[in-house]
Amino acid sequence: MQPDGKISVLDRFRTMRETRIGSFAPVLLALAAIWAWFGLALPLWDLASGEADGFRAIFLSPRNIYNLFMQSALIATLAVGITTVLLLGEIDLSAAATAGVCAALLGVMVLAGVPGWLACLIVMAIGVVMGAAQGVLVAYIGIPSFVVTLAGLLGYQGLMQKILPTGNLNVGDPFVRGFTRVLIPDIWGLALGTLCILLFAYASLQKQARRRALGLEVDPPLALWGQVLAFGTIVIAVILTLNAYRSLPLLLVLLVGITTLLGWITTSTPFGRSLFAVGGNAESARRAGFNVNRIRVAAFGIVGLMAAIGGIFGASRFGSVSYTAFAGGSLLLEAIGAAVIGGTSLFGGRGSVWNAILGALVIGSLGNGLDLTGASAADKLMVSGAILILAVAIDALSRRDGSVGQ
Amino acid sequence: MGPESNKVGHSAPPAHLSVRGIQKRFGGVHALRGVDFEVARGEVMALVGDNGAGKSTLMKVLAGAYVADEGQFFLDGANVSVNNPNDAADLGIQIVYQDLALCENLDVAANLSLGSEPVKPGWTILPRILRPLDDLEMEVKAKEAFDKLEVRTLQSVRAKVGGLSGGQRQAIAIARAVGADSTVVMLDEPTAALGVAQTRQVLEVVKRLRETNHAVVYISHNMRDIFDVADRICVLRHGGNVATYQRSDTTPDEIVVAMTRGRASEVNDAA
Ligand SMILES: Nc1ncnc2c1ncn2[C@@H]1O[C@H](COP(=O)(O)OP(=O)(O)OP(=O)(O)O)[C@@H](O)[C@H]1O
Ligand SMILES: [Mg+2]
Repeated sequence: MQPDGKISVLDRFRTMRETRIGSFAPVLLALAAIWAWFGLALPLWDLASGEADGFRAIFLSPRNIYNLFMQSALIATLAVGITTVLLLGEIDLSAAATAGVCAALLGVMVLAGVPGWLACLIVMAIGVVMGAAQGVLVAYIGIPSFVVTLAGLLGYQGLMQKILPTGNLNVGDPFVRGFTRVLIPDIWGLALGTLCILLFAYASLQKQARRRALGLEVDPPLALWGQVLAFGTIVIAVILTLNAYRSLPLLLVLLVGITTLLGWITTSTPFGRSLFAVGGNAESARRAGFNVNRIRVAAFGIVGLMAAIGGIFGASRFGSVSYTAFAGGSLLLEAIGAAVIGGTSLFGGRGSVWNAILGALVIGSLGNGLDLTGASAADKLMVSGAILILAVAIDALSRRDGSVGQ
Repeated sequence: MGPESNKVGHSAPPAHLSVRGIQKRFGGVHALRGVDFEVARGEVMALVGDNGAGKSTLMKVLAGAYVADEGQFFLDGANVSVNNPNDAADLGIQIVYQDLALCENLDVAANLSLGSEPVKPGWTILPRILRPLDDLEMEVKAKEAFDKLEVRTLQSVRAKVGGLSGGQRQAIAIARAVGADSTVVMLDEPTAALGVAQTRQVLEVVKRLRETNHAVVYISHNMRDIFDVADRICVLRHGGNVATYQRSDTTPDEIVVAMTRGRASEVNDAA
């Protein structure tokens, strides 16, 4: 062990990269690039070429950003869930179909007069069972998760069609619609944001102080304050932008809350540590005493839960449940794409639920921006495919870097 | 010297951990054919044998990583069962696996605490697996473990294991086994990837474990190391016992013959 003073510049850089904000760098850059392209470059081009009379800042307008966040929220909810199985090195292809079944059941139940809150709880329990059932097949029977969840995808798609023979059902329940309709008053939104920043800063400083007290390496103060500053800027900027159009919607608060909880569980509890350990080396984790099978089942249960929550959010946002919006559409691939673009490895053992949110914003921004420029559905598919390949290539390359160092 | 003196006899210390008649098959491969093995506290028992003799398999059975098809376990004379790694850890059995069993995506401190992560006090309403990890405690434990081992080749306990050298990884695996609360420490070729100085350090660690009244099992192909640290030497061949020798009563040549051709007397009988 070297004393604190002798940490080399390279190590410092490496620890910087492994800080919370550091691991976001690639996906944040991608997001910035997309926003710069649609928000600045294209409008400027239109202006210069005389196609537009003035600078048309549609993409970066508060109204569009608001819609963008709401569009990405459903993808993000599923992507956050899928991240937990990706950490294990597994995959879940059935998440969107699970969300569809849950949303359809929710619609049918509230139509039959079940109170909204109860229907939501029931649907979440069903989601957990649907996910965990697949987890049991993966863990205890030993079928690859790709196959189990592919079967799940097909089966749950069929199930959704059985529940919704017409393929469409309106959901007018005020409780369910409330998730998207309830807005946090501007001033409360800002207060909430400030509270989060203070908590973040307090936790960081507290940890730093304990490190110093225990004689452990301390992060350079620049990195510490940089993190707090970056976090604060992002939070305040987002809330001000949303306030400029409407206000902070309850849906986003819930999404961030759930992600915070799941992020904490995956990084700061023995259960979360076991997810990473199994994803890194399942046999080592087993020999270290982890119950690998139970961990797998739990992770699939979490995807099921997040899928059910996604189903509820989707039903709330659309005011209806339709086959194409969930099981039959592009939601699944967008959610997996979001998780991977965020930087979560398909090979397991590396990633974070927060990155899935940013990945969902990348996917959402691409779709939204291309829509605004009048691109066809075909263009959108091709661009999304290219971005996904790029993200996976970066993942594979960074993995190879790691093994070269051995 | 006669064959009787080579056997585990009255002169052997009372066994702390012992197993009888361990059988282990992998499909068609009969890896262990009724092996007896024992180790006492305050002694270093070397386990030797050719490649594929079954040394690692026996160690994994003792550590609960494999479940024996047949056989009995005794701890201080009492019959115990070891069906998974947790059982073994609860009995105070720690092991350095030949393949190290580290997670490359986790940092050094996380690997040292793998499977026994410290959690912050309080939070008793939550099940243990959902309580907050005390990751600073993990780093402190890791630093202490390395200081105790006098490992100076590791820059930071926050480095990912994937970026470390083979010898550094071996140091981590050894620190993990030695740092835990244990009465039995088994090391499966712990010096295979180490330099001369580091090998000497590991041998020192093994001797220190003996002084602290641990039961130590040491596997190696290096006769010089074995004759340096071992008190007794157990020879396996083709998944069966050949014999257990007192180090003071035997020579490297005799051990090599036993490893490759079985007991000298049997070789003579067969001839
Ligand atoms: N997981 C396994 N599956 C199938 N066969 C196995 C497995 N593990 C070990 N074996 C077989 O069991 C026998 C004993 O292997 P083991 O690893 O115990 O040998 P060893 O004495 O440790 O050898 P080495 O000195 O090379 O480490 C070998 O024939 C090996 O092929
Ligand atoms: Mg071996």
